[in-house]
Amino acid sequence: MRFLPHTDEDRRQMLETIGVSSVDALFADIPERFHLQPGSLKLPPAASEAAIVRSFRQAAEANRHAGNTRCFLGGGTYHHFIPAAIDYVILRGEFLTAYTPYQPEISQGTLQALFEFQTMIARLTGMDVANASMYDAATATAEAALMARRITRRDKVLLAGSVNPRYRAVTRNYLSRLDGDCDILATPPFTTDAEALAQHIDARTACVIVQYPDFYGTVYSLAPLRAACDTHGALLVVCFSDATAFGLIEAPGAMGADIVVGSGQALGIPMGFGGPHIGLFACRQRFVRQMPGRVCGMTEDRHGKRGFVLTLSTREQHIRREKATSNICSNQGLMCTANACYLALLGDAGLREVAARSHAALARLVQSLPAGVQAAAGPRYHETVLSFADQQARERFLTAARAADIFAGIPLEHLEPGLPARHLLVATTEMIEQADVDEYLALLEQYA
Amino acid sequence: MTNANASGTRGLMHEEPLLFERAHRNAEAIALPGIADDTADATLADFLRRTPAGIPGLSEPEVVRHFVRLSQWNHGIETGFYPLGSCTMKYNPRVHEHLVRLPGLADVHPEQPEDTVQGLLALLYRLQQALGEISGLPHVTLQPAAGAHGELTGIMMIRAWHDSRGDHQRRIVLVPDSAHGTNPASAALAGMRTVELKSAANGQIDLDELSAKLSDEVAALMLTNPNTTGHFESRIADICARVHEAGALVYGDGANLNALVGKARPGDMGIDCLHINVHKTFSTPHGGGGPGAGPVAVNDTLAPFLPVPRIEARDGHFVIVREDEHSIGPVFGALGQVGVLLRALAYIMAFGREHLHRIAEDAVLNANYILHRLKDAYHVPFPGLCKHECLLTDKLQNRHGIKTLDIAKRLIDLGFHPMTVYFPLIVHGAMLIEPTESESKQTIDAFCDAMLEIAESCAKGDIEALQQAPMLPIRTRLDETSAARRPRLVWKDDRN
Repeated sequence: MRFLPHTDEDRRQMLETIGVSSVDALFADIPERFHLQPGSLKLPPAASEAAIVRSFRQAAEANRHAGNTRCFLGGGTYHHFIPAAIDYVILRGEFLTAYTPYQPEISQGTLQALFEFQTMIARLTGMDVANASMYDAATATAEAALMARRITRRDKVLLAGSVNPRYRAVTRNYLSRLDGDCDILATPPFTTDAEALAQHIDARTACVIVQYPDFYGTVYSLAPLRAACDTHGALLVVCFSDATAFGLIEAPGAMGADIVVGSGQALGIPMGFGGPHIGLFACRQRFVRQMPGRVCGMTEDRHGKRGFVLTLSTREQHIRREKATSNICSNQGLMCTANACYLALLGDAGLREVAARSHAALARLVQSLPAGVQAAAGPRYHETVLSFADQQARERFLTAARAADIFAGIPLEHLEPGLPARHLLVATTEMIEQADVDEYLALLEQYA
Repeated sequence: MTNANASGTRGLMHEEPLLFERAHRNAEAIALPGIADDTADATLADFLRRTPAGIPGLSEPEVVRHFVRLSQWNHGIETGFYPLGSCTMKYNPRVHEHLVRLPGLADVHPEQPEDTVQGLLALLYRLQQALGEISGLPHVTLQPAAGAHGELTGIMMIRAWHDSRGDHQRRIVLVPDSAHGTNPASAALAGMRTVELKSAANGQIDLDELSAKLSDEVAALMLTNPNTTGHFESRIADICARVHEAGALVYGDGANLNALVGKARPGDMGIDCLHINVHKTFSTPHGGGGPGAGPVAVNDTLAPFLPVPRIEARDGHFVIVREDEHSIGPVFGALGQVGVLLRALAYIMAFGREHLHRIAEDAVLNANYILHRLKDAYHVPFPGLCKHECLLTDKLQNRHGIKTLDIAKRLIDLGFHPMTVYFPLIVHGAMLIEPTESESKQTIDAFCDAMLEIAESCAKGDIEALQQAPMLPIRTRLDETSAARRPRLVWKDDRN
């Protein structure tokens, strides 16, 4: 067995040192009736590396993927360009195969990368501090709601209907076992009415959670929400699904957010059928002791040299147990390094360019829509809803697009059951070229 | 005694500034594809970012060198022995990195039409089946993103089961004082109240204490077996029976599954629900903290409550079930940490039914071997057979003024990553050592030699090197107290 170094002679010598005659004697503390006969599990036989590669390759080749299609899918996962250098960095065994940096003297690589990541995420979102990541945007949103409840000591959470339905469902699910309310606030079709949402904030409100740009891609001002939160002592929680947006549009922090959460998948992480991605989590300095998750801080060693450690651990489960700010232990550590590497390779200018090109592709598309197809109104980043005359028109188009190797959008009723089946959620990135937009438009013209 | 594992020199080891301290240029480091058109949409004019974020843009050679240098300050399982108890730091096969980067697995969007991802769904379904078989709990959700997330999911399901029977008063979860901290934290997050079970003198579940705490308000016992002292709870059947008689269920913390895999099944012992840390037992890389994955396996009782979405096989193809009447609903934004899960499947396939039990056999052999080599030099709080990890304390070294932390830091200078320290909490000065199946006898002997050298230094009163340790890494002991008192969590260019 290629992963097991011992020879039979090694095993014999070790058993002799222990003073037992067989390996089975080491399992004598497990009641006999629970012992399995070796080989009795209903599992496939052992496979060679070559056989495993063949099997995975066959499975992979049965899938369509972004490399052999044009991907206009979004809804929380985006097909951005990923520089090859990132994968090289995160494949370094010292990053890839390290544990959580409990021994800081021999984990300065992970720790400094985390500190750089936290700094970049704080700057990108316009916030004071960021933690060392959550599982994904959905669980980060849920954790933000819990944090707001702790800070305000109130138990009513308002969740805008224009937040990604996956984030909403997970947040609601997390809150449903606790006392208090989680109200989903209806929004007008495919946009967010901040003024109307602000009306719902009152003295019982712990926080209002909005998405910016919203699930439908719409960009809007957070100012009415900030004002209402100030009036009633509630917190403004802003989530997002594509962090590249803040290369182009104003950061939520600059618009008054108290807690900002979202997905860092767009920053150098493959779509991977939904995971592993990364949940980003940033907040105001004054809330830092209520923040969930690991966090890295700067300090000095005995010789006064700068170094980094995991800190504020008295918030965490291994110290505080049932009183911890969260149960989270593993985070998405390696993805923090991927995000930091991506951002360093792009810098402010590169990030702005990614965002501008992602936005430009959609603007070109929306500009030239045929008469039968409408895009949702209002300013948008790189995602919008296209509405067709009826389901037949949409299906004709989707079928033709697939035949042309285009994933043209997500039928919106897949994410929001109950909606009429004539809408398509469409996203673009810098991976979409003018020719792709032209072809998309030609297909719309012909089939919609 | 000389130590052959550490060179005692760092040679070309570089200091490396923060990215922010390198020249901050606004040059674009990467030529991008796509449509360059800055004038695209005037409707965004009111929303444009006014000041750049302050992300330093560096050239690719600078960025790569930066991160490669940082990596050299890190210790990973590929660098050397990593005996963190309860963490199961085993070798992560390199082929897995190749597999998950196949474009048909990596570049796949989660909302693609189901018929375009049948290959991927087939692999995930195979993993579901395999985990069900290995745990003896046939119904599996792949959704939870990590072990603690699996605990939350499991307790939510147990709560839903009680609620479905009208047992709304069952809101207490019993948690042994030896449990991982995630257990009580997860139970609390599921809206439950935890009651601590005091361990018996041998570190195991105290049956009288258990019976005394069981009531019609108890929803579940959370149990780790082998427990966190590295011992198998031999009265597991009796424990489960008592819990079941009281109308409650048994949640198994699968963090220690490496001791049992292929040898015995938690489901056969009466456990109702188990999370599996695939980043432990099934060798997916820890990545400096994550990503992990924590699938949960359950018996027929809890099956209706599994989260959605989940994968089912129907007439030769695979479907994603997104709605189910009794389901607790989604706990994650996608089907799961797919890339992590695929690596776990590859590990299981490599061992197969013939060899899977050899994981546990070698892991347990290695832990017992270490225990026997060190048992005279270090205090063993709970003697007897251990499973995949062994527990020592610093009691014998305390009389020389040396504590667990010093021993751990001295190991670094001797070329080894320390063991888990000060856990479990029920033992003073705990040192929990888990070698896994990946280590050779030679490596394990070298580690034991280093531990014996430390004990001998203590006994001789030769303790300066222990108190100063570590001296060889790029940093000496770091001031964690002031880090927590005055948190500096981000870089500020003007003041730090």
